[in-house]
Amino acid sequence: MNLNRRICTVLFLSLLLISSTYGAAEPGGNGDAMRDMQCGGACHGDAALNETSLATLTLSSSSTVYAGIPTTVTLTATNLSLSSTGVVGFFLLTDTTGHSDTPQDAGWEVLSDSNGGAANYVEQTLSSGQSETSVSWVVRSLETGTTPFFAAIHHGGSSSPFFGVTPSGHSVEVSEVPENLPRLSPDFIPQSERILDVPTELVLQTEFAESVQVQWKVEGGAVMNAQVNSSGENMWSATLPAALQPTSLQWRAILQGDGPEQTTPWFTLTAEEAGWEVEEFAVYLQAFALLFLIAGAVIALQSRLSPLPESSKYDQTDLLPQHMDDSTAESATDSLSEESDVAPLPAGGLPNGWNEDQWRWYGHDYLAGKYGGGQE
Amino acid sequence: MISPQTFHVVSTELVVGAFSVSGLSFLFCLLLHLDVLKKTDWKPLFDNVAHFTLVFGLAATPFAVLSGLSSAPGDGLSSPILVNKMFLSMTGMGFAIGVFASRWRLGQNVWATSKTTALHSIAGLAACGSMLLTASAGGTFLRNESLLDVLSLPYDAVLLFPTAISGISLVLGLGLLVLGWLRMNAVSSVH
Repeated sequence: MNLNRRICTVLFLSLLLISSTYGAAEPGGNGDAMRDMQCGGACHGDAALNETSLATLTLSSSSTVYAGIPTTVTLTATNLSLSSTGVVGFFLLTDTTGHSDTPQDAGWEVLSDSNGGAANYVEQTLSSGQSETSVSWVVRSLETGTTPFFAAIHHGGSSSPFFGVTPSGHSVEVSEVPENLPRLSPDFIPQSERILDVPTELVLQTEFAESVQVQWKVEGGAVMNAQVNSSGENMWSATLPAALQPTSLQWRAILQGDGPEQTTPWFTLTAEEAGWEVEEFAVYLQAFALLFLIAGAVIALQSRLSPLPESSKYDQTDLLPQHMDDSTAESATDSLSEESDVAPLPAGGLPNGWNEDQWRWYGHDYLAGKYGGGQE
Repeated sequence: MISPQTFHVVSTELVVGAFSVSGLSFLFCLLLHLDVLKKTDWKPLFDNVAHFTLVFGLAATPFAVLSGLSSAPGDGLSSPILVNKMFLSMTGMGFAIGVFASRWRLGQNVWATSKTTALHSIAGLAACGSMLLTASAGGTFLRNESLLDVLSLPYDAVLLFPTAISGISLVLGLGLLVLGWLRMNAVSSVH
C-alpha cells in the first residue's frame, strides 16, 4: 500500500470516528416511562460525560398528606438553557442513588403526570427561548411515613449532555386518614387516555362520600362542571364531552360527606386517535408467504441456472455401454454362460468321432469317463 | 433475568452486524465478478465470509423476531411499523435461506456462470438490505429517527394482501422450495 492510500485510509477512518460523536446522543429523547435516574437516557447520567445543568429545580406539594389520598407534586424548572431541539426530560425520584429510586420503589403510585401518562420520567419540547416550565405528578402512598422527593433533569446543550438534580429532598409526610373523610377509593386508578369523538364516562369509586361533583378544564379554559350520577353504592359516573382532536383535559372531583369536604388533585386525561388495528392472522400468513416464496424462488432459480457439476475423477460410468438393447444383452449373457459351461478340450483336441456340438453338450461326461475318456 | 427489550437489542445487534458484513462480502463478490475489483484471489475469502456471516445472522434472526414481538408495547402488532418490520425481516430471512441452501447444495457452482453469480450476489445483498431496513424501521419506531430517514421510507404504510393471495403465495412458495430442493439434491447426488 503506497503512502497516498495510507493517508486516505487514515483520513477516512478519522472521519468515521469524528462523525460518531453526532450519533452517540439521543436528541429525540427516550419517551415517557418509569425510569431510574441513571437510566433516563444515554450518557446524561454518566459523570464522566455529562455537564451540570444550570437549571433551577423546585419541588412543591403539600407537606402532609393522608395515606391513600392522591396529592400533586409540582416541579418548577427555571433558568433552562436547552439544545436546539428543545427536548428536556424531568424525573420525580425518591432518592439519588441512581438505582431503585423511583416513587414506586418507595411505595408510592404515580397515578397521573402532566403529559397524560403515569410515569415518573416525562419529556417536554420547549419552544426556542423558553427558559421556564413546570411538570406535575399525582401520586399516592398507602403507607404512612415521611418520604423525601427529588427531581432531576436531563437535556442537551452546545455539545454535552446535561444533568441536574435537586440538592435536597422535599419531604412529604403521610399520616393515617381520618375514618369519615370522604375520599376516592384506594383501589381507584384514574383513566389517563381516551379516544377521539367519543364522550368519556368516568367511573369513580369513593368512600364516605355522599355527593360528588366533577369539574374539568382544558388548558387556558374555564372550569366546567360535568354531570354526575350515582351508579351504585360508592360508585359514581361522570360524563366528559368528546374531544375532536388530540388534546388533553384535566378533571378533579369534589367529595362531600360527614367529614370535611375534599377536593382531589387535577388528573390529566389525554385524547388520542383510536389505536391502529390489523388482522394479525393475515399479517403472519403474509410474512410466512414472503419467507417461503422468496426462499423458494431463489433456490428454484439457482438450481435451474446452475450447470451440472463436472464429473468426479471416481466417476467411470462413461465406460459403460451407452446403448444396449435387451436382445443383445440376453445374447451376450447366454454366450458367456455357455462358454463358461463348456468343458475344456483335452490336450489332443476333440476325441475321435466327436464334433464340436457333441463336445459342448457331453464334454463333461467324456472327461468324467462315461464315454471311455477321462482326465488326462 | 434479562428483559425482552434487552434481549431484543442484543439479538438485533448480532443480526444487523452479521448481515452487514455478509452484504459487504457479497458486494465484493459481485464487484469481482464484474471485474471492477481485480483481486480474483480474494474471491474465496469473500465467499467464505459472506456465507459464514449470513448463516450466523440467520441463526440469530428468529431470536430477534421473537424478542421483538415480546418487547413491543401494547398487545401484538399495534403499529404499522411493527408490521413492516415483520415483513422485512421475513423477506430477509427468505433471501438468506435461499442463498445459504443454494451455496450448501450446489457448492461452487453458484459462482459458475454470470447468471448464477449475479443471482447469488444480488440475493445475498437483498437479504442484507432487508435486514438493514428492518433495523431502520426499529429505530424509527423507538426513537422516531433512523439513519435511513434521508430516504423518506413509508414505514407507516402497510401493503397487506388479502388472505387468499397470501395463502396461494405460501403454497406456491412451498412448492418452489420443494422442487428446487429436489433438483438441487439430484444435481448434488450425481456429483
